[in-house]
Amino acid sequence: MNIQSLDPRVTRLGIDAEEKNPDQTLQREEHWETYQVFHQKKRGEKHSSVGVVHAPNAEMALLFAKEQYARRGETVNLWIVNTRDVLAMDYDDYDVFSTTPEKMYRDPAGYKVNEKIAAFKKAQLDV
Amino acid sequence: MFNTDTLNALRRLLLAMADDHLIIGHRNSEWTGLGPILEEDIAFSSIAQDKIGHALGLYSILNEQLGEADPDTLAFMRNETDFTSCQLVEFPIGEYDFSLVRHLLFDVAALIRFEDASHSAYDPLAKLARKVKGEIKYHVFHASTFVKQLGQGNEESKARMQSAFNQNMALALGMFESFEGEALLVQQGIYKGEAAIRTAWLGEISAILQEAGLQMPDVDKLEPVYGGRKGFHTEFLQPLLDEMTEVFRIDPAAEW
Amino acid sequence: MYGGGYIHDDQKKKPEMQAEDPVLLAEFEARIARGEKIEPRDWMPADYRRQLIRMIEQHAHSEIIGALPEGTWITRAPGFRRKLALMAKVQDEVGHAQLLYSAAETLGKSREDMINDLINGKSKYSNVFNYPAKTWADVAVIGFLIDAAAIVNQVANSKGSYGPYCRALERICYEESFHLKQGHSVFVYLATGTPTQRAMVQDALNRWWQPIMHFFGPSDKMSQHTETLMRWKVKMASNDDMRQQFLTMYVPKIWELGLTLPDPNLKKNPETNQWEFTEPDWNEFYEVIKGNGPCNAERLAVRRTAEERGAWVRAALKRADQHYVTPLA
Repeated sequence: MNIQSLDPRVTRLGIDAEEKNPDQTLQREEHWETYQVFHQKKRGEKHSSVGVVHAPNAEMALLFAKEQYARRGETVNLWIVNTRDVLAMDYDDYDVFSTTPEKMYRDPAGYKVNEKIAAFKKAQLDV
Repeated sequence: MFNTDTLNALRRLLLAMADDHLIIGHRNSEWTGLGPILEEDIAFSSIAQDKIGHALGLYSILNEQLGEADPDTLAFMRNETDFTSCQLVEFPIGEYDFSLVRHLLFDVAALIRFEDASHSAYDPLAKLARKVKGEIKYHVFHASTFVKQLGQGNEESKARMQSAFNQNMALALGMFESFEGEALLVQQGIYKGEAAIRTAWLGEISAILQEAGLQMPDVDKLEPVYGGRKGFHTEFLQPLLDEMTEVFRIDPAAEW
Repeated sequence: MYGGGYIHDDQKKKPEMQAEDPVLLAEFEARIARGEKIEPRDWMPADYRRQLIRMIEQHAHSEIIGALPEGTWITRAPGFRRKLALMAKVQDEVGHAQLLYSAAETLGKSREDMINDLINGKSKYSNVFNYPAKTWADVAVIGFLIDAAAIVNQVANSKGSYGPYCRALERICYEESFHLKQGHSVFVYLATGTPTQRAMVQDALNRWWQPIMHFFGPSDKMSQHTETLMRWKVKMASNDDMRQQFLTMYVPKIWELGLTLPDPNLKKNPETNQWEFTEPDWNEFYEVIKGNGPCNAERLAVRRTAEERGAWVRAALKRADQHYVTPLA
């Protein structure tokens, strides 16, 4: 006896209502690997990381990325990279960056000369 | 600019194209939520939406330029025998092998049609074609990628692909059924005609099947399944239309 | 779309949470208190990981199952505009499922394991989708009011602590605004249409009102468990608060069309500014969660069938040398 649904599509699937097979299991890696997706909205802008797709290979990954991440709004370009190929830092090593914000010698704001110029001009006038 | 006979033939062409796209878009929408993997479910739904969009574009030309009823009326209120879609598009979705193979066979033809139409002497069709052919290019890329990969997948997928092509080639050839006044349209540069489209299509499909490691059925031995363009359909179209129009017909005059 | 506010947790029966290194725990909690996000490879308490996986996974299941009630009417949508809109909307639900499974995967549970748990009945999803979509007007009620309820929940959760979930929710919330507009549009057209259309939407409202009132779950019992989840910004708002927010935003939009709701006690108390209502039947709620709702069996059977029938496609394309690793973000 097949499932009779309010959804005619489901009725047409011909699903056995009596089927007692609740232990249907997907095997490991049946849904393939993941690829990280990078999306470029307009020419000149950077590609941004927007998520992943599951795909069997790079070609399919690009196809799927178009559908999942470029269905709305503007897109000019997409990249995909197999998650395996991305080498990422550990967040635990964040202390590597802890002194970086203080390195003012690398920052335009670390160079203030207005006081020196003002003092010089004043001294000139005093002459 | 075009005489009455030509315009009538043009109406037949546009209606056949519109009906094809509506019915195949409708069939493909049946997979939404039921696809073989989430990412492909999403992809196939976009393709179905595009097809419905193309149908709407074609029905709109019929309505706005050629004096026919509005698109909703054309799609939801005509009788089964008024539809001139080919029989290929009305078959139920079956399993994914059938739907993918139908998708390839139909979309390669659609791309050829729309690329040709983008040079049409009939300006509204040329405009629409130029706008949408990029979408169809993607549809063909999707279909051919799947067919090639499944054709070279494992024993089961190869067998399923081959079987689906063998069983449906005659049905697909029915897309190129001639119709009254076709020659006028060719003469006037409105489109290149069914025979030319069919020839180009055969070349494309052969090439894809070869890349997929599949055998191209011998089309000379096949009897194309005609009838659709004259309003003769399989037992599948009436139930499809009944379902599609069920809510609309509760009150066609109402605003939904 | 369908982040059902109520997260089913069998392990609530266990009062103690796992002990963690106090120094790491303190750093972790301080980070969250500062409003910073936790990323996939950060140290995190085992309970935090477990609760998040459960929450995000249930949300994902709600989306993929949630595609089925409205999917009921995909082939019958009246007119091109509604046909295209419904196809796009249901497609989005599948898209949201994909985004959410991906976010949960970053925590270390595979998509296959999650789907198996769904099909085997181990993992739950929002109860509301175990009810049937009997008419076209049900599409309007689901698309308008259930999406609205989900948005209340999602907006709250989008300020949570887990980076990947927040990012997925940002994308989802944006798409939801289309769903809400689309749903409300169908709703308004029916409510302001012919007597038949109006009767259809009123009937749908009458049938869906209790499941909608169940949506955010029963009142939270404030326990240490709930308190911890709020401190960890896993649970962002109480069930009652979200329900009140929903009622405030949407009951007026129903009443302004002259439609009624099947609860004579539903009203906003002008003194307390709180909505009062007849307490919904929570026994029914628990029965449906257990699997005894009108559509539970069918929903799971459809999901199982889709996976089964697609197995040959997935197997054919799977490369022998493939090697899945936990996604990054």
